Amino acid sequence: MNTNNHIRFVYLHTLLLVCILCPTFAQESCDCFIKGVVLDKESRQPIPGAAVIIKELQKGAVTDVDGHYRIDQLCQGQYTLISRILGYREISQSVTLVHTSEQNVLLTEDDIHLKDVNVTAQRAQALSSQTVSQLEGKTLDQTRGQSLGDALRTITGVTTLQTGSSIAKPVIHGMHSNRVLILNNGIRQEGQQWGSEHAPEIDPFVANRMTVIKGAAGVRFGSDAIGGVILVEPAPLPTTKTVHGELNLVGFTNGRQGVASLQTEGGFGKGFGWRVQGTIKRGGNVRTPNYYLDNTGISEQNFSAAMGYRAARFRSEIYYSRFNSQIGIFSGSHIGSLTDLQAVLENGEPFVKSGFSYTIGRPYQQISHDLLKWKTDWKPVAGGDLSLTLARQFDDRMEYDLHRPKNDSLAALNRPELRFRLTTYTGDLVFEHKPIADKLTGSLGISGFYQYNIMNGRPLIPNFRTYNAGIFWIEKLKQNRWEYEAGLRYDYRHMQVFRYENKVLQKPLYVFQNFSGTLGATFSVSDQWSMRFNAGTSWRAPNVSELFSDGVHHGAAAYELGDSNLRPEVAYNLNLSTNYSGKRVQTEVGFFYNTIQNYIYLKPQAEPILTIRGAFPSFKYTQTDALYAGMDAGIQAELFPKLSGTSKLSLLYVQDTRLNQPIVMTPPNRWENGLRYDFGKVGKWRDAYAGVGNLWVARQNRVPAGPRSANSDFLPPPPAYSLWNLTAGFAVPVAKNHQIDVGLTVNNLFNTVYRDYLNRFRYYADDPGRNVSVRLKWKF
Amino acid sequence: MVTLGASMTLLAGCNDKADEPEPADENELITTVNLKFTESGTTTTQTFSYRDTDGDGGQAPTKFDKITLKANKTYDLAVELLDESKTPVDDVSKEVAEKGIEHLFVYTLTPNTLATYTYGDKDAKNLPIGLKGTLKTNAAGTGKLKVQLRHQPNAKDGTPTPGSDDVNVDFDLTVQ
Repeated sequence: MNTNNHIRFVYLHTLLLVCILCPTFAQESCDCFIKGVVLDKESRQPIPGAAVIIKELQKGAVTDVDGHYRIDQLCQGQYTLISRILGYREISQSVTLVHTSEQNVLLTEDDIHLKDVNVTAQRAQALSSQTVSQLEGKTLDQTRGQSLGDALRTITGVTTLQTGSSIAKPVIHGMHSNRVLILNNGIRQEGQQWGSEHAPEIDPFVANRMTVIKGAAGVRFGSDAIGGVILVEPAPLPTTKTVHGELNLVGFTNGRQGVASLQTEGGFGKGFGWRVQGTIKRGGNVRTPNYYLDNTGISEQNFSAAMGYRAARFRSEIYYSRFNSQIGIFSGSHIGSLTDLQAVLENGEPFVKSGFSYTIGRPYQQISHDLLKWKTDWKPVAGGDLSLTLARQFDDRMEYDLHRPKNDSLAALNRPELRFRLTTYTGDLVFEHKPIADKLTGSLGISGFYQYNIMNGRPLIPNFRTYNAGIFWIEKLKQNRWEYEAGLRYDYRHMQVFRYENKVLQKPLYVFQNFSGTLGATFSVSDQWSMRFNAGTSWRAPNVSELFSDGVHHGAAAYELGDSNLRPEVAYNLNLSTNYSGKRVQTEVGFFYNTIQNYIYLKPQAEPILTIRGAFPSFKYTQTDALYAGMDAGIQAELFPKLSGTSKLSLLYVQDTRLNQPIVMTPPNRWENGLRYDFGKVGKWRDAYAGVGNLWVARQNRVPAGPRSANSDFLPPPPAYSLWNLTAGFAVPVAKNHQIDVGLTVNNLFNTVYRDYLNRFRYYADDPGRNVSVRLKWKF
Repeated sequence: MVTLGASMTLLAGCNDKADEPEPADENELITTVNLKFTESGTTTTQTFSYRDTDGDGGQAPTKFDKITLKANKTYDLAVELLDESKTPVDDVSKEVAEKGIEHLFVYTLTPNTLATYTYGDKDAKNLPIGLKGTLKTNAAGTGKLKVQLRHQPNAKDGTPTPGSDDVNVDFDLTVQ
C-alpha cells in the first residue's frame, strides 16, 4: 500500500536480489536468494528476530543478532516480501527476482534500497502447531461495517449463532459463548458471554487484524478456551510525528444502515505515539424477502484512544475503549406462553408486521463496555522480554422487555427488567527467556483476575465474586525442519455466589482447580508444504447461569433450571493440519477431534413447569460427554491469469457420547465457492476486481430423535439453502500516495427466502433478504 | 511478580458490594388469579384461585383450585389479578382496567358445551376487556376453563390473535 510509506519504522536497509546460477538460456532459475538487514528507522540499530517472509511461498527467515537475514533457493519471479516484528508496523513490498548475469553481485553486495517498509508486531501468541486463520488487509476491509461475529464468518470453520439479524456470536468448530474466548487487544473480553443473545461488545474497527485459533488453547489463555480463541488486535502505535488516519464509510441497503469510522494517529517524537478512533452505526428495520422485521434497528457509538512510549528496551502503552450499543429485538419474538409460540409456528410468519423505521422500541438491549488497559514491556540487557499487562473492564447490560409495567408509576421509571453489571480486573506477567542455543524459546507467565457481578431486576443469575490465578510455561524447540512445542498450566478459581433463597441470603462457595497441557509439532516438508499437529487440553468452570438459572427464557419459551453441583468441563483436543502454498495454488486442510468431559447442556425434563402463563417445557443443565469432530478444507487457485477460484468446505460431527445421540443447535455442514477476476488497472482505477460467490448450507440432519419438545427444539431444522453474492472493488488515486478504496458487495443476490438453523429467531421469521453494501476507505 | 501480587492484593480489598445483593425486584409480576363467581340473584360468592407467590419456578404454585359450579345457572364472573410478592399487595387488575385498550381476557371452555361466557365490560374503544362478565352453565359435565390475559399494546382488535399472554391458566371445571 502506497500510503504505508509514511509510516516508517524499519528500513529493509540492504536488499540484495541475486541469482547465483543464471545460465543464459535458462527459463527459470531456482537458486536465487534474497538477503539483507533490518534496521530500526529511528535509531538505525539492527533489529534481531524480525521475520522476513515471502508471502507467495510462505517461506522466510528470521534476522540474526546483527539484523541480517537470507532466504535461499528461490525461483525467479515476482514476490511480495513481508517483514514483521513485535512493536513495529508490518511492511509489504514487491520484489522482482530477475535474470541477471552479474554473478559478482553476490560478492560485492550491492545495496539496493527498496521502498520504505512499515513493520508490525507479530507477537506469537498462538502456538505455531495450532490451526490459525487470520483476517487482515483487504479481506478484513471487505467485512467493514459488519459486526464482529459476521466479519469472522468469512473464515473457514467459523459460523455464527444469531438472534435475529443484529446479534451474532462467533461459533468455532461448533462451539460458542463460554467455550470461545475473545481477546480484545490482548485482554480477555468479560461480558456476559453465557447468553446466546449476548453479542461480543467489541467494535471491529479497532482491529487491523483478527486471528482465530481453532482448537483448545487453554495453556496460554486459561479457562474457557475450549473451542478456540479470537484475537482482536489493533495496529501498533506510530512514533513518527506526521498525523495519519483512515476514514471508513459503509452503507447497507437492508436496514438502511450507515456506518462511519474515523481513526487518526501520530506521534510526539522521542518515541511517543497516539491514536484516537471512533465509530458510529445506525440502522433501521431489516427486511426479509417478503416483510420487514419490526423493531430490528441498531444504534452504536464506539470510541477508543491509545497512547504509548517506545524506546529500545522499554515500551509502555495505555489504551481505553468504550463500546455503546442499543439493539432492538424483533418484537415478534416475544413469547408469553407456549400457546403463543405454537400460534406463531402454525402461522409460518410473524403476526407483527411493520414498515421501515429507525425507531428502537421495546424489547431492546442497552449495552456499554469500558476497557482500560496498561501494558509495559521491558527487555533487560541480559536478554529476554518481561511484560506486564493490567486491565479493568466494566460491562453494563440492560435488557428491556416488550411490555412496560402496567403500573403507571413503575412504567414511568422505564427501568430495565434485567440489569447485569460485571466488573473485571485482569493482570498478566509474562517473561520470555532469551533463546537458548538459538533453538529453544519459551515463556513463563502468571495471570490473575478478579471479577464481580451485580444483578438487578428479575432474578436470572445471582451476584458473584470470582478470583482466578494461573501459571503457565511454554517452550518451543526448533530443529531443522521440525518445530516442537510443549506447555503446561495450572489454574485456581475461587467463586462465591450471593443469592436469596426463600428470602434468606445464601453464599455458596466454589473452588475449581485445573491442569492444562499442550504438545505440538510442526514439520516443513518443503518450502511450500508444512504439516502441524497439536494435542491440547483446556477447561471451563461452570458459569453462574449454568449453576443458578431459574426462570422462563423469553423468546425460547423454555423454563431453564441450573444445577449448583455442576463440575468443570475438560476438553481434550487433537488437531492435524497441512498447508501448501505454491505460486498458483494455496490449500489448507485441517482435521479436529475434540472430546469434552462433563459437557454442560440443557437436558429436556419429563415434567413441564407450571407458571401463571401456562406450562412451559422444562430444561435442566446437565453434564454428559461430547465429541466434536470434523474437517475444514480450503483451496485457492489461479485458474487462468487474472482469474482465481476459491473453495471452502466445513464438516462437523457432534455427538453426545454418553447417550449416543446428536446434540441440538450444532452448525450444519457448509460449502462455499467463489470466482474472482482481477482487472488490475482500468483507466484511472487501480486494483479493480469483481467476483461472484455461492454459499451452500446443508440441512442439519443430526438432531436428537424423539418428540420435538423432548429434544430441546420446537421445530425440525430448516431445509438446506444456497445464497449467491457479488463483490467488486477498485482504488482511485486522489493525490500523491493517497487513494480511495471503493468496495461493493451484494449479499443474498436473488433475495432467497431461507432460515438458518443457528438463528434463534428461525421459529418466528425468515432471514434477511438482499443487502447491497458500498464501502469507501480513505487513508491519509 | 511483586507488582502483580501487590495489585491483586489491592484489588481483593475492593469493596465491591457483590455480597449485598438486592432482593429480587421484578418490575411486574402476576402471582395470583382470583375468579369470583356470584350466582345471579344471590350474594353468595365463590372464589377459585391460582396462586404462586414466588413467581415462575422456585416453589410450585401454593394454590390451584378446581372450579365447581351448578348446572343451568348464570354466574357473574369477576377476575382479580394480584402481585402478592410486593408489600403492600399490588392490584394488577386495577391497572389492567386503566389500560383496557391494551388488554383482553379470553375464556375458553373445553368442551364448549359446558358453559357460555359473555363479556360484561368495554374499554375506551368499545372493545371488550373481560374483567367482568357472566358465565352461563349448561347441563352437568366436566372439562376445563382456560383463562388468558392477552397483552395487546397498539394492536387490540377484539380478537385474541395479537399480542402475547400475560396470564394463561387452565382451571379444572365441574358443572354439577
